[in-house]
Amino acid sequence: MTALRSYLRRRVVLVALVAFLGAYPGLHNLLVSSPVGTELALVLPRVETMVSVFYFGLFAMSFDFVSGYTGYLSFGHAAFFGTGAYTVILVANGKIPFLASSTPFMLSLLLGAVLAVMLALLIGAVSFRLSGVYFAMITLGFAQVLYVFVRNWDYLSSNPRDGMSVLEHPAGFEVGVPGIDALNLQIASADFVGETISMGWIQLSAAEVSYYMVGLVVLACYLAMRRALRSPFGRTMVAIRENEERARAIGYDTFRYKLGAFTVSAFFAAIAGGLFAGYARSVTPENTFFFLVSGDALLAAILGGFGTLAGPLLGRLFHESLSEFLSDQAGGPHIDVGQLGLLPYLRQTLGESTLATELYNGFTVGEFVEVFVNGHESLYLGVLFVLFVFYVPNGLLGSVQDRLGGTVGSELPAAVRRLWGRYRTELPTTIRRLWGR
Amino acid sequence: MILRTHGLTREFGGLVAVDDVDFSLGDGELCSLIGPNGAGKTTFFNLLTGTLAPTRGTVELNVDDEWVDLTGRPPHETATMGLHRSYQITNVFPTSTVRENVRIAAQAHGTDSHKLWRSVQSFDRYYEEADAILDRVGLSGVAAETAQSLSHGEKRQLEIAIALAGDPDVLLLDEPNAGVSSASIDIVVDLIEDVAQDHSVLLVEHNMDIVMNVSDRIVVLNQGGVIADGPPEEIRDNERVQEAYLGGYERGEAA
Repeated sequence: MTALRSYLRRRVVLVALVAFLGAYPGLHNLLVSSPVGTELALVLPRVETMVSVFYFGLFAMSFDFVSGYTGYLSFGHAAFFGTGAYTVILVANGKIPFLASSTPFMLSLLLGAVLAVMLALLIGAVSFRLSGVYFAMITLGFAQVLYVFVRNWDYLSSNPRDGMSVLEHPAGFEVGVPGIDALNLQIASADFVGETISMGWIQLSAAEVSYYMVGLVVLACYLAMRRALRSPFGRTMVAIRENEERARAIGYDTFRYKLGAFTVSAFFAAIAGGLFAGYARSVTPENTFFFLVSGDALLAAILGGFGTLAGPLLGRLFHESLSEFLSDQAGGPHIDVGQLGLLPYLRQTLGESTLATELYNGFTVGEFVEVFVNGHESLYLGVLFVLFVFYVPNGLLGSVQDRLGGTVGSELPAAVRRLWGRYRTELPTTIRRLWGR
Repeated sequence: MILRTHGLTREFGGLVAVDDVDFSLGDGELCSLIGPNGAGKTTFFNLLTGTLAPTRGTVELNVDDEWVDLTGRPPHETATMGLHRSYQITNVFPTSTVRENVRIAAQAHGTDSHKLWRSVQSFDRYYEEADAILDRVGLSGVAAETAQSLSHGEKRQLEIAIALAGDPDVLLLDEPNAGVSSASIDIVVDLIEDVAQDHSVLLVEHNMDIVMNVSDRIVVLNQGGVIADGPPEEIRDNERVQEAYLGGYERGEAA
């Protein structure tokens, strides 16, 4: 018990974050139905958005695992995401020999990850002969070959260009311990497929159940990767990033360590892809194997901080929140009213008369909003990306770490304690002084 | 003897950088390798450690009284077999701490580097070895600093500290004094003499005072070939050596 307590105390920031994320769906519902709910709904990410932040954040973290810690940019990382995603749907559709459509989701997740590991060994064995930009380009090349391949392989579905949907697995995919029904919950983006929970005053929609289950898997993967990075192996990866020539000179067969890091990262990338496929229940070549999927992971890593592991998840959250904020849509078919992007919000709250007000030379407020807000999400993201590269090159988490002089988990409690210590010694004297006067 | 080469040759196109070198290093000896710029000293180092493959010839290391052929082996293998080097231009892990720089080098000689499921902190022996080495080279005080924040002199000490990790049999020191101010040069020279107590050392050095003082033996390289090999006094008076350094002028002319 004391061992557990000291374990948790050393990880107080992690525990606090997990507790906050655990309370988030309830908190979100509460805040959105408050008097300033419309405004909060504008800035707070929806629970559905958070699910995609989780699985895509895991993908971005796996990208950072190899790219941020060994210095080899894996631009073809989408290949592993796609392998995980396609495996899940293929198993569900009974397209993989000897595997029934009813195979537990956790097993098909694992199968996808193992296949990705094998693929990574093949790609890595060739690509790690090269370094720098050539490495990035050859991994990108491999991923694009696979992208073209899955777009044209008839076996996958009747129209492989449009991807595949789950056809033979009507229930939601179960996340949990395979074989024990009580320890499983279904994930799905829609209530009529997924699992809803209603226990007393706790009411969870399918998206909220998915939030917790996907979140658990992502948390487990994050902890596993974090441990790997703090192991002798992880330190060797950092040595390779810092100075590969010297790492070799002191006795490391760097090729093997790089290949090892690459396969571990492919494993987790495939888990992320599998979670995505299980949640969305359909995949297309464009949202799995396409090079822009790797690009989004790179974006998340730059925004959140390269070589920080947790940073890319934060970066993805930032990216998703911003695109949701700037989005011109009120959301998909199962989105609550009131959860809007900036454009519908402005149209609604400004009112007709304000919108019609002339600003300059016949140019009205309404037109201004149309020109500057409508459908320019990617433009603003691009501008933001450029600004980040220039002014926050270490990303959100990276900059915080630089400020604290260490990882947030180890330095933040110390910083808070210092601040509290000063506050405790200075506050009484301040009060006394004020009192005396 | 601990290390020997036979007919070691490396050609770059038409240029013969190292030309048919027969060299041997005695056990516990401090041998200096000198020669004018471009004589092939660094190339010779690269051939010994396996950074470059020789065009012809062999490199052999004495491991437990048996000669092991190192020819053509990659650098990580020659390193784990006990042949370590330091670099002329500081070549460390810049953003890691000084302690981690040495610890990671010590870890390379254990069997735990592939363990990705265990915390690095549960392997005390590498930390202990790193601390002992830092103590020896005089960097204990800056163990927690990042390598890039060290002064140039301290970086040269760290360069040797990294090479010392894993207890090598042979140390190849490539100009450990390069760029060190005359004020702190003594620290590095003391360090060279200290590590020579329990290692066989091959030293490349340009400062003749240091070479004459610390070496047991001196080998002179010119245009890739060995032109002299002997104790310091003998090398000092060798005419071919003076010629090589003075660029072929007559002695009277140069003076």
